[in-house]
Amino acid sequence: MARAFRATTYGYKADLGDHERRLLTGLCADVITLLERRGQEVTAGGGFTESTESDDAGTPAQPEDSVFAHFSAELAGLGEDTPLQPPRDKVLARLLPDAHTEPEEAGQLRRLTEASLRESKIADLRTARMLLETTPVKLTEDQAPAFGRALNDVRLTLAVRLGIETDEDADRIREVAISGHAKTTESFMAEIYTFVTWLQETLFTAMIGMLPDQPERE
Amino acid sequence: MSSAASTLPREETDLETGTRQVPQRPYHVVVWNDPVNLMSYVAWVFRSYFGHSKERAHQLMMQVHTEGRAVVATAGKEKAEQDVTAMHNYGLQATIEEA
Repeated sequence: MARAFRATTYGYKADLGDHERRLLTGLCADVITLLERRGQEVTAGGGFTESTESDDAGTPAQPEDSVFAHFSAELAGLGEDTPLQPPRDKVLARLLPDAHTEPEEAGQLRRLTEASLRESKIADLRTARMLLETTPVKLTEDQAPAFGRALNDVRLTLAVRLGIETDEDADRIREVAISGHAKTTESFMAEIYTFVTWLQETLFTAMIGMLPDQPERE
Repeated sequence: MSSAASTLPREETDLETGTRQVPQRPYHVVVWNDPVNLMSYVAWVFRSYFGHSKERAHQLMMQVHTEGRAVVATAGKEKAEQDVTAMHNYGLQATIEEA
């Protein structure tokens, strides 16, 4: 039976069952794979022109296509000013959102920042996987934010897959999760989502308790 | 231009260029509402990343929740861009806009 995150003298601790740790580790690995695929796609020239975009599942262009994609981009006269299109996969689009409300501006900013954002997220998810190897799961103060960010990315991924786009959707998923035994893929995923939510909630409630009271910086 | 006969030391010109202050245009860091992010998480991010007080973080979080968006910081362009990327790193939806 899982016991939530709570503060300890060295940081934070949670008691999770082996199957829960395995589940979370697997979810982190899934998100890493998704982010890495986007990295491969962008490196191969995809995302800069419509013709080299991968399909909606986010699978990378075939190796031979990626070679031609690179040349196509060169031939099309695409220079370093070409904006980078947002990912078509909805999960990736949520994990790597636009930095500007104007698509053109967003594309320029994305070109400059998406790679390092992807790398940061992958690093956090890898840290989380490593921390999930021990039981109980123990986090130092320094490790907690990285673990928390990884948990949040896992939650976002599940939320997109569950189609949570409004507060009403979130309420409905919560109802599905607490209604009892999972019978469908959706209800199973809803239960996992609720579990990850609870884990993240307890971690950040404990972390907020550790923040110093400070006056507003002007 | 040959510098062999010049009495102007090159350092003088370089120093002047290096220390000229360019006034920074302010940019807003805007955080947008989404139904997934937990209030405890968002409040923690506002406090630990931006150094907002407990009260200010709560106020901003409520503003995001009820109005759909809030300006959480104002800075020069480069810093604001870094802040937006940091918000994305935390999984928040954020954009940069001219102040």
